[in-house]
Amino acid sequence: MTYYLTTVLVYAAVDILACLAISLQFGVSGIVNFSFIIFQAAGAYTAAVLSLPRDTANGGFQTYILGLNLSFPLPWIAATLVGALLAPPIGLVVLRRLRSDYQAIAMLVLSVIASLVVTNTPAFLDGAAGLSLVPQPLSDKFNPYSDGYLWAYTAGALVLAVVVFFIAQRIINSPYGRSLRALRENEVAAKALGKNAVALKMTVFVVGGAIAGLSGAILVGFITTWAPSTWLYPETLILFAAVIVGGRGNNFGAVLGALLVPVGFEEATRYLPPFGPPGLIPALEWVCIGGLILGFIWFRPRGVLPERRRVFAARPQPVAAGEPSAGRD
Amino acid sequence: MSLIVAAFGFGLVSMSIIAISAVGFTMQFGITNMINLAYGQVMIASAYAAYAVNNAGVSIWLSLPVGAIFGAVFSFLLNRLVYAPFQRKGTNLIGMVIISLAVSLVIANVMLPIVGYYSVSYHQNAGTTYHLGSIALTAEQILIIVLAVVVMLVIYALLRFTRLGKAMRATAANPTLARNCGIPTARVVDLAWLITGALCGLAGTVAGMNSDSFSVASGSEFLIPIIAASILGGAGSPYGAMIGAVLIGEMTEISAAIISPEYKQVVAFAVLVLVMVLRPQGLLAKRGALAAAG
Amino acid sequence: MLASHHRVGRGVGVLFAVLTLALAACGSSTPGGSTASSSLLIGVIAPFTGPDAALGPAYFAACLPAARAINNAGGVMGHKVSCQEFDTRGEPADAVPAAQQMVASHSNLMAVVGCTSDEASSVVPILDQAHIPMFCMTGQSEFNKTNFTYFHRLVPPDAFDAFALVGSALYHFNYKKIALVFGNDIGSQAFVGPAMTALQHLGATVTINQAIALGQPSYRTEVTAMLATHPDAIFTEALGPTDATYMAEVKQLNNGVMLPFMGTSATIDPVWFSAVTGAIGVQTVVDKFTAVDLGVSFSGPGYTEFKTNLDASVSQFPSASKYSQRGATLHLYDGIIQAALAMDETKSIDPTVYNTVIKDVGNGVTGAVTVNTYAAGVAAIKNGQKVRWVGAGGLTNYNQYNNSQQGYILVRYDATGNEIKFGALTPTQTATIIAAGGG
Repeated sequence: MTYYLTTVLVYAAVDILACLAISLQFGVSGIVNFSFIIFQAAGAYTAAVLSLPRDTANGGFQTYILGLNLSFPLPWIAATLVGALLAPPIGLVVLRRLRSDYQAIAMLVLSVIASLVVTNTPAFLDGAAGLSLVPQPLSDKFNPYSDGYLWAYTAGALVLAVVVFFIAQRIINSPYGRSLRALRENEVAAKALGKNAVALKMTVFVVGGAIAGLSGAILVGFITTWAPSTWLYPETLILFAAVIVGGRGNNFGAVLGALLVPVGFEEATRYLPPFGPPGLIPALEWVCIGGLILGFIWFRPRGVLPERRRVFAARPQPVAAGEPSAGRD
Repeated sequence: MSLIVAAFGFGLVSMSIIAISAVGFTMQFGITNMINLAYGQVMIASAYAAYAVNNAGVSIWLSLPVGAIFGAVFSFLLNRLVYAPFQRKGTNLIGMVIISLAVSLVIANVMLPIVGYYSVSYHQNAGTTYHLGSIALTAEQILIIVLAVVVMLVIYALLRFTRLGKAMRATAANPTLARNCGIPTARVVDLAWLITGALCGLAGTVAGMNSDSFSVASGSEFLIPIIAASILGGAGSPYGAMIGAVLIGEMTEISAAIISPEYKQVVAFAVLVLVMVLRPQGLLAKRGALAAAG
Repeated sequence: MLASHHRVGRGVGVLFAVLTLALAACGSSTPGGSTASSSLLIGVIAPFTGPDAALGPAYFAACLPAARAINNAGGVMGHKVSCQEFDTRGEPADAVPAAQQMVASHSNLMAVVGCTSDEASSVVPILDQAHIPMFCMTGQSEFNKTNFTYFHRLVPPDAFDAFALVGSALYHFNYKKIALVFGNDIGSQAFVGPAMTALQHLGATVTINQAIALGQPSYRTEVTAMLATHPDAIFTEALGPTDATYMAEVKQLNNGVMLPFMGTSATIDPVWFSAVTGAIGVQTVVDKFTAVDLGVSFSGPGYTEFKTNLDASVSQFPSASKYSQRGATLHLYDGIIQAALAMDETKSIDPTVYNTVIKDVGNGVTGAVTVNTYAAGVAAIKNGQKVRWVGAGGLTNYNQYNNSQQGYILVRYDATGNEIKFGALTPTQTATIIAAGGG
């Protein structure tokens, strides 16, 4: 039971990080990053090729670049950096005056391209077979199969999730966050006020990319394997569904969405009682997941925890300098 | 060299199929503002509907209309029962995309237990292969190309010359204004989904004919080239989708000849991204959706 | 705080409560409604949805006759046995929670079958940690010299399929020029390297090596390129509708004449047969297609027992009978029975006790009596004897890494989809190819 529980908790932490990243990019700034999964995959691959020994090891059954056998926490830091570094080039492609849905589709296609390129270039990241036997963090000092290690890993992942949550909260509730929301609500007005749209959006894109990279590192460190089949474009859409179901634009919604959709729906449906010929139940699981997404959006279209509407009461008369405004924020 | 010419010939067939499907997809987007990610699944469901009839002994060319009608009805119901209610509730653009994803999950996994995981083939006769230099096309493929051209002409005529076509263009450009001008937008939308659904079903059946074998999983394979072609040409513009289809279809096959089969799709999609960088609204789109003909 | 926040908070609280209760309620019930002490479970962990959805049912079809045979003879020391599927959705990240949930929710797991190349790397360590004997279908070479003691593999690594194909082409048919057309997924690409190495070292020519994307609507350009190299034969494995599409286009573009094409053991499968014959016609497949398969004879008392129970399982799984000649199905059936007999011999349902005996049941120890049915095995064990299981898949010979393989046979299909053996490779030929291929 320990193993399943720790698995679910680590997956929850990873999904929470992913949803926070998406929520910052999409919820607060209105960027529809349908290429999100590339960032998580890049983080996972980075952590993997930095932790793995040279590709001649283990019988040489896989080929990949690097293989530097670095120890924790370097691979994870590198993964976060790679996630951040990927953001500017991808952002420059799409973060321009595109309609949000065009942007979205362009990024979706980008993630398909990335998947195809990795799959068909075996020398790079071992193609379709992916990377396996990735050494887990600190596995040379501790037994990665012991209960203690698993709980420590889980605790670490959850701590990182909490830390990122607080960072995201600071971002949302800061002047920077206000600028982002202004940009989202009325880009023309915001620009007229002197806000640099591209710089603002790019910054949050980079932050989201970094968080995504970290989430990939945590996941690959836990399951020790990573292949193109793990990061197909529908994965991004499931995470978006999570953010929309949970409530976009606020971090509590992102966390809730992460717990509900990728963790809750996908895991709860495993408990459907078995009946019928093989393949029926698994197919029904997916039908349930789709149905749950539809149901949640129907009954709570703004998400279970919608974004707090920030209302500033109009000033009845001029106030002296230094007096606080009547608004909440 | 001859391989490239042959690839060009095959590209004609690919583009025909992508054209039929992309025009439908882009019109759904243009008229109802809906990026319908379930489009590929409706295509494959229609292909199976045509298979059911074809398997019972009917010729494939007579089963084609069955596929088209199935696609029309399915898409119409999809909009009426799922998409429109959500849109009336005020769900935003991206929410609708997610909804269409959920719908595609449901469709694919309802089909799986019903039709099974086996791949099926139509009972058809491809006919003799005609050669023109290095180009080799079967009679059936030539008919598919002709069918695509006919469909494109019909759509052109519909949009340019009929009242319905003008109403669709008006609704796409500005639904509120259109309604205020007395256009029954609800009915226009219904008809639009029937027509684009028919295109979807037709394209699915034709794709099944051309590929000689298909299964439930083929549905998701159709979707990305369709999206690419639509966006390349300018989302919402049916003529743009036709051009996008030509480009995607040819680039896919020719890059398989020049570079290698593994990268055939990568090149096409990379061109799409390039176009989006250089000309984000696509090749043909004017602001809004369906442009005036010509 | 606003009142609306209270409402939302309450709503969320209720939601969570309901979800948790639902999970707890569903999670606490084990299949069959019986308690762990009275029934045992065989887990089938494999893709049941996604692009490889055809694999899961093939392995489920191995579990049903095994369970039937076991239960008909009184079960394992009185415990009835049942089968349950666990969908990995075809990728390692989804496979991990599937495997963990399987282990966590079912303390009565006696064995697990399946674990294909799609998910083996992530699932095998989990099952090994949980001390669950597993019989895996992955041909990945990383498991050739594995340290996982609970891992058993009754099918050869993929490289050997490739070598067998080379042997068939070179020694039986005297082909000199081969085109390689394999799907670019994990399972299929594993054959390319060994095949190329072996062919080149033995003096044959690889005219072209195409890695084709699965499930594409058309491969005509690829086919034209391949035909231009004028191969004598095509080696292939590309699952789903892919081989059907590709081969149909070969036939069309080659003026209606199909080239000889040769498949790996995965192409001896009812789904593959149905797809390809649907696309190019049964007669063409009968005439032009050959394959290599694991050396099973489809005869004998062990096979008969399997087939009888397989046909009887149609009530639970209508398509079960179609898998009567699927190598994987036969071998996984054998694995399950071996596990059951090991439990009977050690009189234990504790895997840490009976896991090491599985190898003995498969290979046989001195003085062991050969049995072909589970009932006979139980009877012999009651008599105080040790048993050697020779079942549907023939002889087992586990090496030190719990890998077992017999030789390959050369086969073709008949018009109804049955496998017909037309030849075999001699040990000398096999050794030559293995040496050439560096296996």
